Amino acid sequence: MTGRFRVAVDTGGTFTDFVLLDEDSGDVSIAKILSSPADPSVSVVAGVERFLSEAPDRTIGYFCHGTTVGTNALLEEKGVRTGLLVTEGFRGIYEIMEQSRPHGPALFDLDYDKPTLLAPQRRTGEVIERVDHQGGVLVPLDEAALRTTLRGLRGEGIESIAVCLLFSYLHPAHEQRVGEIVREELPDCYVSLSSAVLPQIREYSRLSTTVINAYLQPIVQRYLTNLRQRLHTLGVTTGQAYVMQSNGGTATFGTAAEKAAATLLSGPAGGVTAGARISRLCGFDKVITFDMGGTSCDVALIEGGRPRLGHGGLIAGRQVALTSLEIDTVSAGGGTLASVDGQGVLKVGPDSAGSVPGPACYGGGGTRPTVTDANLVLGYLSDRSRLGGSLALDTAAALAALREHVADPLGLDPQDAAKGLVDVVNTQMQEAIKGISTMHGYDLRDFVLVAFGGAGPVHAAALAAELHMAGVIVPAHPGVFSALGLLMADVQHDHVRSRLDGLAEVAPADVLAVFAELAEVATAELLAEGFEPATIELDYALDIRYQGQGYEVTVPVALDSFVAGDIGVVRKAFDEEHLERFGHAALGEPAEIVSYRLTGRGLVPEVRLPEHEPTGRTLAQAEVARRPVRFGADLVDCPIYARELLDVGLTFTGPAVIDQQDTTVVVLPGQRVVVDRWLNLFLSAAGEGDQR
Amino acid sequence: MSIDPITFQVLRARLSGVVQEMQFALFRTGFSTIIRESQDASCALLDPAGKVVAQHVVLPLHIGAFPACAAAVLAEYGGNFRPGDAFLINHTYQGASPHAPDFFIICPIFVGSELLGFAASMAHKGDIGGPVPGSCSAAATEIYNEGLHLPAVRYQSDYQTVRDLERIIAANSRTPEVVVGDMRGQLGSVRLGERRLQEIAAKHGLVELREYFGELLHVSEARVRAAYAQWPDGEFSAERFVDDDGINLEHSFRIHVTVRKSGDRVEFDFTGSDDQTRGAANIRPPLLRAACAYVVISLLGSDTYVNSGLLDALDLTTRPGSVVDPHFPAAVNTYNPTVHAVVDAVFDALSHLVPGRGRADGCASRSFVLSGGREPGTRKYVQYELFGGGTGARPDHDGVSGSSVNHTNGKIAPVEIVESEYPTRILRCELIEDSAGAGRYRGGLGILREYEVLEPARFSLRSTRHKIAPLGVDGGANGRIGRLTVNPGTDRERVLPSRYAELPLTPGDRFRLETPGGGGFGDPLDRDPRQVLADVLAGYVSRERAVADYGVVLREEDSGLVLDEDATRSERRQRPVDVEVTP
Repeated sequence: MTGRFRVAVDTGGTFTDFVLLDEDSGDVSIAKILSSPADPSVSVVAGVERFLSEAPDRTIGYFCHGTTVGTNALLEEKGVRTGLLVTEGFRGIYEIMEQSRPHGPALFDLDYDKPTLLAPQRRTGEVIERVDHQGGVLVPLDEAALRTTLRGLRGEGIESIAVCLLFSYLHPAHEQRVGEIVREELPDCYVSLSSAVLPQIREYSRLSTTVINAYLQPIVQRYLTNLRQRLHTLGVTTGQAYVMQSNGGTATFGTAAEKAAATLLSGPAGGVTAGARISRLCGFDKVITFDMGGTSCDVALIEGGRPRLGHGGLIAGRQVALTSLEIDTVSAGGGTLASVDGQGVLKVGPDSAGSVPGPACYGGGGTRPTVTDANLVLGYLSDRSRLGGSLALDTAAALAALREHVADPLGLDPQDAAKGLVDVVNTQMQEAIKGISTMHGYDLRDFVLVAFGGAGPVHAAALAAELHMAGVIVPAHPGVFSALGLLMADVQHDHVRSRLDGLAEVAPADVLAVFAELAEVATAELLAEGFEPATIELDYALDIRYQGQGYEVTVPVALDSFVAGDIGVVRKAFDEEHLERFGHAALGEPAEIVSYRLTGRGLVPEVRLPEHEPTGRTLAQAEVARRPVRFGADLVDCPIYARELLDVGLTFTGPAVIDQQDTTVVVLPGQRVVVDRWLNLFLSAAGEGDQR
Repeated sequence: MSIDPITFQVLRARLSGVVQEMQFALFRTGFSTIIRESQDASCALLDPAGKVVAQHVVLPLHIGAFPACAAAVLAEYGGNFRPGDAFLINHTYQGASPHAPDFFIICPIFVGSELLGFAASMAHKGDIGGPVPGSCSAAATEIYNEGLHLPAVRYQSDYQTVRDLERIIAANSRTPEVVVGDMRGQLGSVRLGERRLQEIAAKHGLVELREYFGELLHVSEARVRAAYAQWPDGEFSAERFVDDDGINLEHSFRIHVTVRKSGDRVEFDFTGSDDQTRGAANIRPPLLRAACAYVVISLLGSDTYVNSGLLDALDLTTRPGSVVDPHFPAAVNTYNPTVHAVVDAVFDALSHLVPGRGRADGCASRSFVLSGGREPGTRKYVQYELFGGGTGARPDHDGVSGSSVNHTNGKIAPVEIVESEYPTRILRCELIEDSAGAGRYRGGLGILREYEVLEPARFSLRSTRHKIAPLGVDGGANGRIGRLTVNPGTDRERVLPSRYAELPLTPGDRFRLETPGGGGFGDPLDRDPRQVLADVLAGYVSRERAVADYGVVLREEDSGLVLDEDATRSERRQRPVDVEVTP
């Protein structure tokens, strides 16, 4: 690394967060500046410029960015004009999608619609060609007809084109040739080939992923090219400039621009990655990350230091089948609204007051009570706790809103109503956490909750106590935790190739050959990204199923078992994994390989987070106020501490409220708090009885 | 004791968490792919009287079957329940399984010696005997042709499984391991529900929990009645027809409903429906009730609590011996075409009470089975596929193309999976131009899939709307009907009726399935001509139908097809104005 500093920048809806690490001293500093939604790079560059200007000799050797440019373009449907080429006779695949509606309310929704087609039918062309399920050519590619089709599409103003032909994961040559011809006929057009984006069986998910990639690629590429030029102007020329991807690993700017669809979870991925690293540092390998903001909360499960990954998810109803972190989102945040209906039933969420008008206590015109208003009335937040006290909160407005919309209709005291509101939203978040853990067979007693985001640490202790979790970690900078994760991630690329092979029949040499091809591609990619062979790691896995099943289980494999010719080891690992995940195994049933997977990792030098020495400050010196705070049915006289004054090694017992610039930590009565040497707070499991 | 609104909401979230966890457990442990892929399984918690207090909605039709099956178990064993008991029933007439493959398993939940309620699950089984694989024969004329039927029987005592029962069922199934494996998965799921509910009772107290059960039912019913009360009083009738019952191909049978709304009550009177059918098209009242509940929930919106309180707010009247209240042992296995007709008729009737919530008819649902391996040297296989089509247009937007509709929600099988697993090739997968009913808002388009079989096979179809089109509304045109053509375009071309069993096919034979488009909403002449142009450019509507149905004239220019505004205006002016004719 040629520069002394590592810089991470995470673009959010309201703020762009910066974390700066001095590699020499180990010091970490943070900054937040207002985001510039029209061109997010403006805020990114402004922050970097400000940082560099603070001292003349500052040099940046490592830069990593979490961006929502692709995500927002997809959510707002502001990608480029996209075309689509499919095998002749199969133009229905994209629009039919899976045919089914999502589970639950959509079945009853008279207004249900499919998401709009990013590549509509009028910009869809058919290609005369056909490949069979073994990769054999049934109908050769008709190049002349393709050229005619493409000339017919010229007037459509297509900027980017997706190509998804049947069985292209077995026979990519047709798509590759189509790509060449597109470049000849429509020279300015970007091209995304499904055999390159996701060479995986099941045509709809491959097609959808490829179309999304085509739709976003020019946007992400322009954004990153522009950002890189502006960083260069500032003298930031390091080759170690990365973008966070949905899989929790990073990619160089160049690679990320090619794989635009892989950046869709670039924003939330940082927090999960940081959660995995921090908890490993603290000696925990089973973790739930809990990121609660203004409108929603994200939860993810980490086991063995690695977050759970999935191979198919929906973003705004559209399928993206790339390897991604499994992050579950529920609409429960500080701005979540409460109301009472005609039957006297309290309703909390899913509507949110958002940032405009915001909670009643923000004084921005909001008159309906939110979770934040309830937290204020209960004493969890103080009227000075927003943005380090720079914006006062209006307790009277919060009380009035609670009284009118919840307490009076229910015949409750306003504070009991506030407590009730918080209990209900906590219950919803607990059920979301169970949904990613106990419902998949995990025992929450083994897990710690890593709480961050503006509202996470307010609610974390109550959630963990009710769920009987092992404790709560509140990191030093919960408000920029996602940005911190960007400093800690390795470069990671996931490769897949589908090919159905009977597990009992396949020749080990054939398996090795497929993996060797994938390894060649992965290694070349990482070498091109500047990694030395010694810093490249390759992991192998197979997607296996019992014959006839509609789903696969991903089983990590070692190449040695194939070199030794012993596929029995793989079969055993599959049966065990199936038993673990689904509660049974079918030892006598034939199993088959569906896809070959390879993860290539380029290891970046590990971050050493600064460790702190005790300064000798006492707990009493950190106490800045006392006020009544509601725990269970009681108002308790509760000490308020300033987080920055809590010394390393301090241990104390709740109740306590800990204020810091970007959040507030609530500690239940009887709960033990330890300040560790990285200034994380660890809250023990045991509260006094069950006082929420 | 008084109901605390906070505890109420917390318990409601907890109970729905429990049924969700039961559902996950069932999907995880159930062996058969039909449970996981078509997700034809549901879980519920019931009160001591057998009323559903919480259900995980996967298949909306199960809501009616739960309380009726529980009632059968209560009638047989009520008063003598002990911890560790579990029971099973799949009998359509003694319980209320929609058809025999749907197994209902239930266990009582005790706290100490007090009965707190029940945990139950219902899940479809791949095969439980009878003349055809899958147990759903289009030729069945009584339930004895539809597989093994079990009345309410004991499955466990003192947490010990009655092995004799498993052996009897295994001996009657073509896929014994899968069926027994799925039964055990269901049992595991209800036991999980038992543990979770006991944990909640330990925290909140048994008596209190029962009180809240009552309140959940009460609130659910009160919400429905409060919504009813806002509708105008009145009486409206509607009817729909189903192609035929698969036996008497000349007779399309009628589903007729009269809704009578008065104050906070709505009566659904089906006495005008046709007599029960000989073929397997009958449904029993619990299923009818679930179909009505489906419509009411759709009209009321997502705030509805789905439990027995909702069902209690539906007053049903049926005529014994009719297709919706058949006498034992009338056949029932292909119930979906009838249920779709009920749903469409009830929507139609209620749309007069709930302005702005009407919609045109959709495509209903269908499935086919292609099976092979009877000839020596060929591999045994069963290829089962589910299809939707176009949904009906809404008052302010078009229907959805290539979609499931109403209470059904099957996924379409990927081409690459089908061709990799079965000796079948798919030749086309498209939406069908001009299949949507025209309207100010048009219906969704139907699906076309064409297949070629590569080995000898037999083909069975369970479909509907091959004769009776999805109706348009308010001047909207009907959607196009569905069709199954064997060897299209050859001299061996043949069109099959909507229900057909076991057609032999030889290698090289082709069949083409076309599914219906949805009905249109409003006068097509009121459709924005630019929208019609967009539909033509997308291939949804042909240029000819643009003129014929919509009065929209397009012309070719260098830049492509454009709207000829003058010609369109004069074309639309020439159209006769619809004159309302009162009989």
